Amino acid sequence: MAILLGGCSQEARDLGPGLPQTAPHGNADPRIDAYQGNFYQIAQGGRYFAWYGCSPCHSEQAKGGARLSDGQWVQGGGFADVYRSIATGHGGAYGRRVPVEQLWQITAYVRDLPLHYPEKRRRLLLDQKGEPQESAWSGPQ
Amino acid sequence: MTADATLIERLDERWRDPPGLRGFLTTVDHKRIAARYIVTALFLMFLAGMLALDMRWQLSVAENTRMSPQLYNESFSLHGSTMLFLVSVPLMEAMAFWLVPLMLGTRNMAFPRLGAFSFWLYFGGVLTLWIAHAIDITPDLGWFEYPPLSGPSYSPGHRADIWAQMITFTEVAALAASVNVAATILKMRPPGMTLTRMPVFLWAMLIASIMTILSMPAVMLVTSMLIADRLVSTHFFSPAGGGDTLLFQHLFWFFGHPEVYIIFVPATGFISSIVETFSRRTLFGHAALVLSMISIGALAFGLWVHHMFAVGLPRLGNDFYTAASMAIALPAGLQIFCWIATIWLGRIRLATPMLWILGFVATFVIGGLSGVMTASAALDLQLTDTYFVVAHLHYVLIGGAIFPLLGAFAYWYPKATGRLMSERWGKVAFVLIVGGFNLGFMPMHFLGLMGMPRRVYTYPPGMGWETLNQVATAGSAIAVAGGLVFVGNALWAYWRGQPAGDDPWGGSTLEWASPSPPPPYNMAHVPVVHGLTPMWDDAGRLDVMDGLRPDRREVLVTSVTDAIPLYRQKSAAPSIWPLLAALAVSAMFIGSIFTPWAIVVGAAPVAATLTGWFWPSRPRSRSGPLGVNA
Repeated sequence: MAILLGGCSQEARDLGPGLPQTAPHGNADPRIDAYQGNFYQIAQGGRYFAWYGCSPCHSEQAKGGARLSDGQWVQGGGFADVYRSIATGHGGAYGRRVPVEQLWQITAYVRDLPLHYPEKRRRLLLDQKGEPQESAWSGPQ
Repeated sequence: MTADATLIERLDERWRDPPGLRGFLTTVDHKRIAARYIVTALFLMFLAGMLALDMRWQLSVAENTRMSPQLYNESFSLHGSTMLFLVSVPLMEAMAFWLVPLMLGTRNMAFPRLGAFSFWLYFGGVLTLWIAHAIDITPDLGWFEYPPLSGPSYSPGHRADIWAQMITFTEVAALAASVNVAATILKMRPPGMTLTRMPVFLWAMLIASIMTILSMPAVMLVTSMLIADRLVSTHFFSPAGGGDTLLFQHLFWFFGHPEVYIIFVPATGFISSIVETFSRRTLFGHAALVLSMISIGALAFGLWVHHMFAVGLPRLGNDFYTAASMAIALPAGLQIFCWIATIWLGRIRLATPMLWILGFVATFVIGGLSGVMTASAALDLQLTDTYFVVAHLHYVLIGGAIFPLLGAFAYWYPKATGRLMSERWGKVAFVLIVGGFNLGFMPMHFLGLMGMPRRVYTYPPGMGWETLNQVATAGSAIAVAGGLVFVGNALWAYWRGQPAGDDPWGGSTLEWASPSPPPPYNMAHVPVVHGLTPMWDDAGRLDVMDGLRPDRREVLVTSVTDAIPLYRQKSAAPSIWPLLAALAVSAMFIGSIFTPWAIVVGAAPVAATLTGWFWPSRPRSRSGPLGVNA
């Protein structure tokens, strides 16, 4: 029964108010589970990951710290750690440009990557080939 | 002919189920299995109808906040999936299950245990979808879940998997049922009932079963491919990986369009039976009716692309599928004219079942005409994904299948229960349902032409859609009230109705020769028929043949075309194995939502239960001259 009830919140698709406005306060922030434990939020993070051009450097073939799917975290693997390295790492550019909620989603996606097989990650990217990703983005239509 | 009391006693002892829970779980009596199918499907029809009413409430005013967009998506997906996969098709199969052996005067279906397996598996599909709904993992992508939206990238989680696996459940159940019905009709007809003397009802069930056998594999294939894409990252529907998203639509509609005729053709069987009995003359144009059904069955496989006109086709493709879609109006119209001619030439009696047929003719013709409109590729581009299509599909499915079904329910109810439903309340239900339905769905034609799209959870004020939407909501509420009156009437009649006797309507076919309700063995002797309407021929005298052993479960097998008796066949006794096999298959299907290894690991229990099921039993190896333990 507990598994079943756990299933519900994983599947929820809540839109609208209640979005985080601030970065996580530490790795035990109570808001984390609504993102890390939810398939929809993780999938949205995957789309933003491609849109904001993360894929070329953080590809499956990337080496060392740029390789995200190996479960080795140079800056720490907690939610707040990964969030911080996305938002304030990379010269702080993403923290300035990307809305806070999307950073939460991207963080959840990145932390979810090591849980999947390479073919699953490749399959998800293939589905999103048609989306305006980094250089394919030609401005608002 | 009346059978003597000792024969009845011996038959009853041999054919009745074990008492209590054991009998409930092991029964292979086609009437009990069909009744379960019908009660389950009617309950689901009520639940899905409540969802519809809820959606109508949401749409009754602009910018209503009764439902969130997510809840609305879930509601119409659950409504459509339930009504198509768990209500309409199973109800038609259940009617075949209940009626075919009775109308053939035989004792059970050809494969009794397969019938029990079919129900348990269907019930597994019901539980899969509705338990998932109860714990808020409801499929939310409509009743056909197109990729890439339903693919792994855009539908994370298990909502789409639950939908796809629910389909697998119901399709295996439907295939099991159809094979059973087709084999029964082809091999177990009573002596004298050659193919040319077969009632239209049996033709309808035979054709629908063959259509099911030919079309269901396409949808099982396509949902399995979708699950493979989602679970083991295959590329069937990923264009960037060399796949094709349109492949899904083609395979889905190669099943989906025949499916609407799998629902409609059995309804034409109900209509033919009711029209014949209540016009008190043999059907006008028996051969024309049967040939129309066969041509509908054939044409139905050649026009699936009309669901995909908006996808874009070459000119010749558009022309071909437009022509094929319009062509089906010819046999459908021919059937309508045959029924009208029967009514015209007969002496019509307006009891409730016949009223439903008149309601069917009026409503279905409107649905057929809007069908001819949407069949035109040019017009369809304008109408597709609008409320016009919602109106059209409800007119053909409710008007074309559910109205005849309600008529059939009222017609055969006294045979099933031994009691008559109230005519007065039957008429009240008829007026409320047919009136409410037309009030509810007629305005949707206009809403569609005014541009209101399907599957929107709300709309802004000032579009001019509010009044018509309110009329539609009021109509749906009236129809639901009528549905409750109908069910209330049936429940009241079950305990308090007038006793019906064996043949309250003066019916023409063999099911009316059995007692009401029919005993487990259906009829004491195998009937012999000489014409299309055995109960009316020979001044009500029914010839029978003897020769089946009353102390064993035996049925008569006859030849396919001429129904010449060939041999006596052992008929399977009650058994727990169909239930266990269905449980094993269910576990495998549910497990395969989560891990591909469920197929490998789950195959072992399936093999074990099937081995138990098919374990040979040869009573004569223990007794008789060849017995080893004797």
